Amino acid sequence: MNAVRSEGITPMNRQQQPAKEAKGAIKIEKVEKVYDPTGAAVQAVDRCSLDIGAGEICMIVGPSGCGKTTLLNAIAGFHSITDGAIYLDGDMLCGPGKPQAEPGPDRVVVFQNGALFPWKTNLENVAFGPIMQGTMSKAEANEKARDLMATAGLSGTENNYPGEISSGVRRRVEIVRALMNDPKVLLLDEPFRALDSLTKSVMHEALLDIYYKNKVTIFFITHDLEEAIFLGHRVVIMTTRPCKPKKMLEVDIPHPRDYSVLTSQRFRELMEETVEAVHEEAVKAFEAGEKEM
Amino acid sequence: MSSVDETLAFDPSREQRIKLLKGAMPFEPLSDELLGKIADIATTERVAKGAVIYQVGDPAKDLFVIANGQVEHALGPGAEATVLVKVVGRGDVIGWAALLKDRSRRLAKTTALVDCQLLRISGDQLMDVLSEDPEVAQDVLSRWAKMIIEDFTVPRWLAQVKDAPGRGEDGGPQTTSHLSGAALFWYRFSKWLTSPRPYLMLIGFAAFFGSWFVLSEVIHFWRFDNLPGPREVLIEWFNPDPIYGLSIYTPEYYDHIWWSIRRILIAFAIATGLGVPVGLFLGWSKKFREYVFPIFETLRPIPVLAWVPLAIIMFLSVEGPVIFLATLASFYATALNTMLGVESIEESYPRAAACLGASKWQIFRHVVIPGALPYVFTGLQISVGVAWFSLVAAEMVSGQYGLGYVINNSYTNVRYPTIVIGMITLGVVGYISSALIRMLGDYMMQWRVRELALGGQ
Repeated sequence: MNAVRSEGITPMNRQQQPAKEAKGAIKIEKVEKVYDPTGAAVQAVDRCSLDIGAGEICMIVGPSGCGKTTLLNAIAGFHSITDGAIYLDGDMLCGPGKPQAEPGPDRVVVFQNGALFPWKTNLENVAFGPIMQGTMSKAEANEKARDLMATAGLSGTENNYPGEISSGVRRRVEIVRALMNDPKVLLLDEPFRALDSLTKSVMHEALLDIYYKNKVTIFFITHDLEEAIFLGHRVVIMTTRPCKPKKMLEVDIPHPRDYSVLTSQRFRELMEETVEAVHEEAVKAFEAGEKEM
Repeated sequence: MSSVDETLAFDPSREQRIKLLKGAMPFEPLSDELLGKIADIATTERVAKGAVIYQVGDPAKDLFVIANGQVEHALGPGAEATVLVKVVGRGDVIGWAALLKDRSRRLAKTTALVDCQLLRISGDQLMDVLSEDPEVAQDVLSRWAKMIIEDFTVPRWLAQVKDAPGRGEDGGPQTTSHLSGAALFWYRFSKWLTSPRPYLMLIGFAAFFGSWFVLSEVIHFWRFDNLPGPREVLIEWFNPDPIYGLSIYTPEYYDHIWWSIRRILIAFAIATGLGVPVGLFLGWSKKFREYVFPIFETLRPIPVLAWVPLAIIMFLSVEGPVIFLATLASFYATALNTMLGVESIEESYPRAAACLGASKWQIFRHVVIPGALPYVFTGLQISVGVAWFSLVAAEMVSGQYGLGYVINNSYTNVRYPTIVIGMITLGVVGYISSALIRMLGDYMMQWRVRELALGGQ
């Protein structure tokens, strides 16, 4: 069930794929990242290989500071890599001769602490991408932004500034801002970490709802195993630094899912199957005393 | 919480309720059928004399139609009206906050003056009933809005009634709780006036001038004896025929003020025009910073007064050195704060912009500049302060006009009250200049004003 698998998505998950051709397959090939801040090289990522199918929700779980974010930053193009390569739909993002990818609207990041521009209204934030890229006029972008916000239940907040709305709503606006660009991949870096558990559960369903409508590939970093199993097609448990996949788990609970899944027998079995592996790495990380990076 | 003491139901017939509702102004256009439905969702209750029906800030779910008795309606802070406290009676409707958009808190305190009988109607249920006939609902809701605005000059955003049913889906412009620019300013200003703060300020001033007066003119305390007292200064200041030649009635007084202001305007404009871009680039471009910052940090600690000789040698005019010195000091403050502003921007903002496809210049324009703005305005306030400081120093050294010149010249000519007139004038003009910058900042950074307002500041 939880065999390491090299390509695509399982047949079971494939049947829930949208009719349109899904884009956004990510291939991570022997990626290495070495930091050298103090003269002593720190290996953050070690020959990490991972294939993520188009339209898959891939949950990355690992202890604090294990290098998950380094991996995400490499895909997004915020950091360079020291070895290996990353491909998106067969095109090389970074690799030999090109250590750092260009950030772009095909891979949009939703940040841990939120990065809505506080000086722009929610509507201006959502409409930002296409206007900057020059793919839409301001009027067109505003119209699409309004529509998209309406489908995400955000009508009425268009003219508020992010500072005026609750953190859960802010996170939703940020996800909608990412979707405005029709990205192939959403890169989520513990987006719900700062939310209380009730808001979090609302956000999980909202995210799934958005996902069912938009079928993008989701690369989702989290600490929270319950969150990982509830949302993901697959859960990848990373080793503590240097980071590489330790265990992969196919979540064979069919989508669409709702909160009843949490109390199901299968969910508990999957939790049991993974909790030990995660705990083991957490203890290692704790003993190593690694600082979060 | 609303503490309706005795909720003993009184029991008017359905017809009586309908009749009562019909008499209430906002419900006038409704058909008997709809009125009947409203009558059905209404519950009746009796309130004892002296009981508080609801308090300011309580959650607002229901509204009330008064069937009998008298209720005192006292508006809470934040909502203004020509009559803050009024008495309402039979047929009047209270508790309309239950219908307000984005505002489900009571704005007033209502107290039963005598034993009263009320119809209680849930705001949400009322909206449901109204949604059966959108056109009539529209009429009813606009009557509400009109009544609210006429009776209470509440800010317009407060008076926005929930979207009428049947509207909103057609993509019409959304009404939102949006106060902008001048309206927001007036709202905040009127709140300030109704708070105790202005009175505390007056007490502070009174204490200051009072002790000055007592020390210098009443008990002639120690060295205060030589100081011109406030009475002496005031008499001179408002004297149509001033003993020492300068008062609000002499045109020279305004000439001096104008000369100083003019110099400040020029110096401040140059310092801002140079300081903001230099600061932005210092913060944004590592390379530019490597070149410029060491020089900047070496020149900055040199006191402005040390520049006086060079300034006079460089600019052979009277105005030149004075403006140069004022510019120099405020340039440093503006540039440094702007640079810190750019550094204060969270890393994730430019990254997010890059993800969304913004080019380097677009990031500069849409992220770096607005992100640094709060610090820029802090810098500008400091900068206008140091501009005044160096201006007066420069005017004391060279110059034939200006407030600094007035102070120095009065000293050499033993016109002591005039010194104080010059000083107080400087204080007032300086205060106004930084207040103007603060207001401009608030105007340009609405997002920040609103964020802070939510934080209770």
